Amino acid sequence: MLISLQWLREFVPFTGTVQELAERLTMQGLEVEAIIDPFASIAKIVVGHVAERTPHPESDHLSVCTVDVGGPEALQIVCGAPNVAAGQNVPVALIGTSMPGGMEIKKAKLRGVVSTGMICSERELGLSEEHDGIMVLPASLRPGQLLTEALGLEREVLEVGITPNRADCLSVLGIARETALGFGLPLTMPALNLKEDPAAGNAAQAVRLEIADGELCPVYRARVLTGARIGKSPDWMRYRLLAIGQRPISNIVDVTNYILMELGQPLHSFDRALLKGDVIRVAPASDGQTITTLDGQERKLLGSDLLIWDAERPVALAGVMGGANSSITDASTEVLLECAIFRPGTIRKTARRLALPSESSYRFERGVDQVGSVFALERAAQLMAEVSGAKVMAGVATAEPKPWAPREHIFRLERCNALLGISLTAEFCRSTLTGLGCSVDDSDAACWRVGSPPHRLDLEREVDLFEECGRVHGLDRIPAVLPKISKSLDSVQMSDTEFGFIQALKAWGVGSGLREAVNYSFVGTEDLDRLNLPVEGRIKIANPLSEDQNVLRTEIAPGLLNNVRHNLAQGNASLRLFEVAKAFVEDAASDTGARENSRLGVLVHGARHSQEWPWEQSEADYLDVKGLVENLLAHLRLGAGSYVLEPEHPYLAPCVRVEVATKAGPKLVGRIGRVEPKIADAYHARKEVWLADLDVDLLRALSRATKPSFKSLPKFPPVRRDVTVICPATLHAEAVEAAIRELKPKNLESLALVAVYAPEAASEDKAASDGKAAERNLTFRLTYRHAERTLVDKEVDKEHGKVLAGLPQKLPVRI
Amino acid sequence: MLAELRSLQNTALQELAGVESPEALETWRQSFLGKKGQLTTLLRGLGALPAEQRPEAGRMANETKQALEAAYAEREEALRGQMAERDLTASALDVRLPGRPPALGHLHISTQTLREIYAIFGSMGFDILTSSEVEDDVTNFQMLNIPPDHPARDMWSTFYLTRPGLLLRTHTSPGQIHAMHKYHPEPFRVILPGKCYRYEQVTTRSEEQFHQVEGMAVGRNITMADLKGVLAHFAHRMFGSERAVRFRPSYFPFTEPSAEVDISCMLCGGEGHVAGEPCRVCKKTGWVEILGCGMVDPNVFRAVGYDPEAYTGFAFGLGVERVAMLKYGIGDLRMFFENDVRFLEQFS
Ligand SMILES: [Zn+2]
Repeated sequence: MLISLQWLREFVPFTGTVQELAERLTMQGLEVEAIIDPFASIAKIVVGHVAERTPHPESDHLSVCTVDVGGPEALQIVCGAPNVAAGQNVPVALIGTSMPGGMEIKKAKLRGVVSTGMICSERELGLSEEHDGIMVLPASLRPGQLLTEALGLEREVLEVGITPNRADCLSVLGIARETALGFGLPLTMPALNLKEDPAAGNAAQAVRLEIADGELCPVYRARVLTGARIGKSPDWMRYRLLAIGQRPISNIVDVTNYILMELGQPLHSFDRALLKGDVIRVAPASDGQTITTLDGQERKLLGSDLLIWDAERPVALAGVMGGANSSITDASTEVLLECAIFRPGTIRKTARRLALPSESSYRFERGVDQVGSVFALERAAQLMAEVSGAKVMAGVATAEPKPWAPREHIFRLERCNALLGISLTAEFCRSTLTGLGCSVDDSDAACWRVGSPPHRLDLEREVDLFEECGRVHGLDRIPAVLPKISKSLDSVQMSDTEFGFIQALKAWGVGSGLREAVNYSFVGTEDLDRLNLPVEGRIKIANPLSEDQNVLRTEIAPGLLNNVRHNLAQGNASLRLFEVAKAFVEDAASDTGARENSRLGVLVHGARHSQEWPWEQSEADYLDVKGLVENLLAHLRLGAGSYVLEPEHPYLAPCVRVEVATKAGPKLVGRIGRVEPKIADAYHARKEVWLADLDVDLLRALSRATKPSFKSLPKFPPVRRDVTVICPATLHAEAVEAAIRELKPKNLESLALVAVYAPEAASEDKAASDGKAAERNLTFRLTYRHAERTLVDKEVDKEHGKVLAGLPQKLPVRI
Repeated sequence: MLAELRSLQNTALQELAGVESPEALETWRQSFLGKKGQLTTLLRGLGALPAEQRPEAGRMANETKQALEAAYAEREEALRGQMAERDLTASALDVRLPGRPPALGHLHISTQTLREIYAIFGSMGFDILTSSEVEDDVTNFQMLNIPPDHPARDMWSTFYLTRPGLLLRTHTSPGQIHAMHKYHPEPFRVILPGKCYRYEQVTTRSEEQFHQVEGMAVGRNITMADLKGVLAHFAHRMFGSERAVRFRPSYFPFTEPSAEVDISCMLCGGEGHVAGEPCRVCKKTGWVEILGCGMVDPNVFRAVGYDPEAYTGFAFGLGVERVAMLKYGIGDLRMFFENDVRFLEQFS
């Protein structure tokens, strides 16, 4: 909301600076977002006097003017306007002035004649659309004066952010009330001087009003004016509207805008000559009905929209926009001036559905002062008569099915202070409430009765009055106290919550050298389709910003894959990322119809190490991502997990199921695998993209079921023996390990794979040509230990011998 | 015999002076002092001497042995020093080579900022609770005193789901409702972090997704002064004790009274200007807004069954990315969800 300081001062005798006012309003809850000079772009234009005008020697449409701009020497300016004449006062842009459009005035030669400035039209100054000729200024002005000063243009405008509750502040009057309150100044309403002309008729007889439902329209008033001459508004009104960003249109329409901005009451003027019959009806539309609004658009209506009708047809969309069939034109002379109140929710629904927000609907949907609307109508009629020469019929046509009902609330000072944490006095609260326009009955000192004024529709409850007292006192003056707050001790413990678990997961991710990504929860349908993910179960956004983001992600992968594309485009080729976020799938059993499942995604791509030196260059593969998963499972006390190839997966090949052993059998906690090259291609990844996707909720449940427990450290030394088996390359290391364990060597403490050696390619070829399958060597280290004594070599040799002898019998291996 | 001992000692010491490596030193030791060394061999001959010469020879032999052992120890010490020096200075170690870096991960800047926020409120006894991101209109709006068709709805542009009545939460405030349901009728204080969504064009200063932290305290006799104490403490710990903090009346449907909290601008120090130019961070005001707050509205209490005559409380909400932007001088909100590793690595 833009508020001109000069306009404001017509209501309140504020003499301070605009900054002081801005500061005070801000701390009263009316945040001043900026202080604007609306005419900054013409601040340097001066008044010039055309002393002499001669025709241009080389052109019949140019004139050469000698212009006095108050300096020692007159300027020679070439001007192309037909209306320029000696003796005029005109606006002059001097050399070096930047015009509103950005053009800079330079010394120029026009057809051989030097021109040192420009005489401006109204359009060039942004003051109107007028461009048939230069602007002619009043003769009383002094050459050299700044144009903005000479015309009295308003230079100080506050941009105030009005919160939705403060409908009363959507006007000069509202801000003036707050200024008066903040600085202890009186509020002065403009004097009314409406001259009715009974000879012109009587409004109440000329127009009959019918309101179908007082809930939708509690009051409708109309005045009738006759013999208006439509034309330009006077300069003061046009400049004032311009200063607050409103485009002047014509005198009658400008007055309705002026009153809207000044008093906050939306008005509408009809061309009464175009209205059929002598009746105005306020009634809902019917479903499917249409109306052409004054912008020429045909609007399709619903039964919930409210219309203004004449005797035959709808003539306006109530509170939103007038109809094209009855609006004021240049030819209008008869005016019906509407001043009504409409139900806020109805106006809001219509304006939003039709995407037709207007200054009027904005105020109606927030609430307009029903009592104050009488004054607004009178002042509007007076101004219209003044600016258009119209005669005002006597009286007001009024229908008020639901008059304003005063509201009264209790006010307990003790509770007010208890809520705010301060000790306001009764005197302060009484004067504050009175200053706001409330009536105060404090005959019961503990429980006052306070009536709130009709312009403060937001003062609905006792607590609203507390806020007013706190606001006027200054929230900044409430002390800051570190509270003694009691709370229940059996509240959640952080480490055991989902939240705590996710924090621990993130700590693991960082400790494992991964970088945390945070992606959008929504992706595009295309992103899910590309991964061949099921269509059913997707949760779609009804009003997406773009088709790239029209569905909630059902898996963690799409976001991480987008990160691959982005980073590769930026030249970041080595990626080790993780993300913990929710995946969303439709679920009828959930309160919100959506199952929100927290997932952990891990993605590795490209060089294993972020820099080449001092490592051998190598690329991330299955063992990298598997190692991360094994490490995580161990970290969560879930063992190493078991890994089973899954023959088919929508986008991973190979895909490996990650299972954790539980008492109830193995549980699938997630999958790891390589993104299919064709799909990875779509993300511009040329190297292998390895991904793990784990169910955080399940991991948490499994991990919670285990407890870390202490095992005493071994006291006696271990004996270690290695065994190397030569086996077919197709035999899994896991099978050898299992076979060793099945042989049950006594005192075996642990068993670990320590080396895998695949003979060189040459021998492989040789093996192939020999008709033998390729082989590899696996070395396992067996650690033997006895808990209560030191093992002697002999007994270890015996157990180890069992392994060496037993293995070739169980498996196709040689030792 | 004596002459032989003397000559042996001389030879040995001479040779020792030429010893330059631990290996040569060991050879020398074995050659003179070892089981089969020259001194040992010589000493075996002691028994063959006439009895009257034996004590003298024995003493001499001992002296020689001690002298050689001492010389050996000295030489060994000297060699060890030389070797250590050589290891460091000669080609063996280039001390200026870049080290082998451990693989370090990074938490996302939003997570890091969230952790700072948890730590501060945690120290003031706030628990942490989370709630769902898909919400219904009732919990996201209506129970928070925002009826349908209320102009306050303009404050939140909303993503709706295709299923009627469902939406992506526009703020963490529905968490207030979940927290009150959970703790009712006990007093509590809690923060509720999480992702929120707004139907807003993405620009450097606005995002369709962001993290918020909601806070709420409910009990008997909680006042606005308590709210100010908690939030002023937060602002000072988060942004520095030198920051000025102000509470400015504002409006949120679910709090009454409501306020916004500003801190003095960190770029211009509250002056509104930097080197004569208008400050771009605070737009000349000298203040930057960090959060919204207020006392819990009685209608919200009623919606979940707390008696507003008996209970009071406060609530607040702050934007995590906004805090991070102010704190670290990040100018573009869009970088948070691009996940460019060069961005992710910057904060630790
Ligand atoms: Zn600043």
